[in-house]
Amino acid sequence: MTAFTLDVRGVTKRFGDGAAGVEAVRGVSLAVEPGEIVLIMGPSGSGKTTLLSMMGALLRPTTGSIHLDGIEISALSESRLPEIRLRRFGFIFQDFNLLSALTVLENVAIVAELGGVGRRPARAKATALLSDLGLGERLDFLPEKLSGGEKQRVATARALVNDPTLILADEPTANLDSKIGHEIMNLLRRIAKDQGRSVVIVSHDQRIRDVADRVLWLADGRFTDVDAMATDPVCRMSVERDRAVRTERDGETFYFCSRGCREEFLGRLVPSTG
Amino acid sequence: MLLARRNLFRDRTRFLLTVAGVAVSIGLILLLAGYRSGVYRQASAYLDNTPGEVVVAERGIRDFLGTSSALPAGAEEAVRQTPGVERVIPVISQFVIFERHGRKDGFFLVGYDPARGGGPWKLAAGREPAADHELVIDRTAADQHGIAIGDAISVLDRTMTVVGLSDDTTFWAGSIAFARISTLESLLRAPGLRSFLLVTPAAGVTPMALRDRLAHPATEVLLKSEVVANDRKLLARVYDAPIGLMVAIAFLVGVLVVGLVIYTATIERRREYGAIKAIGARNRALYRVVTIQAFIAAAIGAIAGVGLAYGGGAAMMAWRPQFRVDIEPAAIGVVLAASLLMALVAALIPARLVAHLEPAEVFRG
Repeated sequence: MTAFTLDVRGVTKRFGDGAAGVEAVRGVSLAVEPGEIVLIMGPSGSGKTTLLSMMGALLRPTTGSIHLDGIEISALSESRLPEIRLRRFGFIFQDFNLLSALTVLENVAIVAELGGVGRRPARAKATALLSDLGLGERLDFLPEKLSGGEKQRVATARALVNDPTLILADEPTANLDSKIGHEIMNLLRRIAKDQGRSVVIVSHDQRIRDVADRVLWLADGRFTDVDAMATDPVCRMSVERDRAVRTERDGETFYFCSRGCREEFLGRLVPSTG
Repeated sequence: MLLARRNLFRDRTRFLLTVAGVAVSIGLILLLAGYRSGVYRQASAYLDNTPGEVVVAERGIRDFLGTSSALPAGAEEAVRQTPGVERVIPVISQFVIFERHGRKDGFFLVGYDPARGGGPWKLAAGREPAADHELVIDRTAADQHGIAIGDAISVLDRTMTVVGLSDDTTFWAGSIAFARISTLESLLRAPGLRSFLLVTPAAGVTPMALRDRLAHPATEVLLKSEVVANDRKLLARVYDAPIGLMVAIAFLVGVLVVGLVIYTATIERRREYGAIKAIGARNRALYRVVTIQAFIAAAIGAIAGVGLAYGGGAAMMAWRPQFRVDIEPAAIGVVLAASLLMALVAALIPARLVAHLEPAEVFRG
């Protein structure tokens, strides 16, 4: 038995057959410990979403295996997966995906009820969770009446209500402003550290790197050493040092996603140094 | 259940339109069924309200309304002499055209002997005919033609006076009018003519036993219930196909209304359903949400439809009293069941849509 919450071993996902087939994820391995926050970054089309879907038992790998709490979820039959997703995973989506017809309280309680909890205890649990996340005054509000940050906190409460061991978050700060995004990340960190839940986040957002225990870079379906990455000082995008446009100033090397960013960077420097 | 209810009631205008659509559909089905029942009831009104359990007619005549019957001479006397017969009501029936102020119409004229029965069972005004030039006609027909008691109308080559108005005597082909049996013998120039004998068995004799006892090669002897059933079959040939078609169309409209609304509501919430599925809801839980929505809409629409049918039926009978709408409890049961079937059929496509939702889609922006 592994001590890891999540253990991804040599996972590959291929879409289509023959020459037209595409390998979205290639031989990826990853182990996540209890209470650990792993941030997976990478450019669009790098395979982040496919990997997240496989880790969340929403997509079956072509080869390799995925273990959650020692259970090989990639080998389970389709009929068993909803139960696993419901009880062992907490999902946080980029667009929140709250049920628009239900109130804040009902959005959270319904997931507990799906997990077999009775109506009353489900509502009590949801109320406690939401109050803990600062939404005690918003229980009867419909999602449309909430701010982006409040919606994401409701989504977080929904992800936690069945006491999952692993939380999977897909671009959790994408639709939030900087301050609220930071609050949400701190909330996820608190959850991971206080409650010992593992958190895997897929994001483009450089600002949340400092919250993660580990940052992984996915490019072309493979993890790349994060030390081989640099941040474009203009657009803040992560770029591979080997492939990036670069320039040296005062003995320091700067890496850019494009010539445009380099030109802008150099243009900014000229007046200050000239 | 909660999600289904909230999804359904979230857009009130759409919900009300759905209910209205189902109500119109169910109301129309019930109204058509009620009209059909009313037609049948009107058609058997004479036999239902005239004493006698066994009907004796001309050989080969098996219905009361569709054909003329002429019993062989002496048939009435033979029946009267048969042991086990308590009462015999002889009647002559003939569909005739009458004229009033140059306007022609038809009625089913029944000749009867006031001393032996077979006349109007619900006299609304006036009296029964006491002479050969006197007539009782249906009150609704009288209203339509502006005929009052004491007025004269032309029947065949005679002028007759209306002395009474009867109720509950309209039917699908017109109305029933009553005259003395001797009036009919004279009008049809057939002294001694008898069309039907309505026979009541004596105590201790069953109608079936009496029917068998009365069997004769020159006559047709049937239970009254058999004659009523044959009259209904006759009507069914005329009414059931168009009414059945209209009912089927109304049902289809109901299915389409519910189906379309639930389908669009499901499409709108496609992403939400995908999210619940990703979180761990099984397909059957989502089917339940979709189907319950259809059931709620159909059930509320059906209840409103029953009210609509009663209101529509009452309005129709007030506007055109010759049309009778009988909404029977059994028919209400059937349409409520039909509304559930409607919901089930309407939920099929949205449920299929939900079943094919790929939960991983929720991660694709």
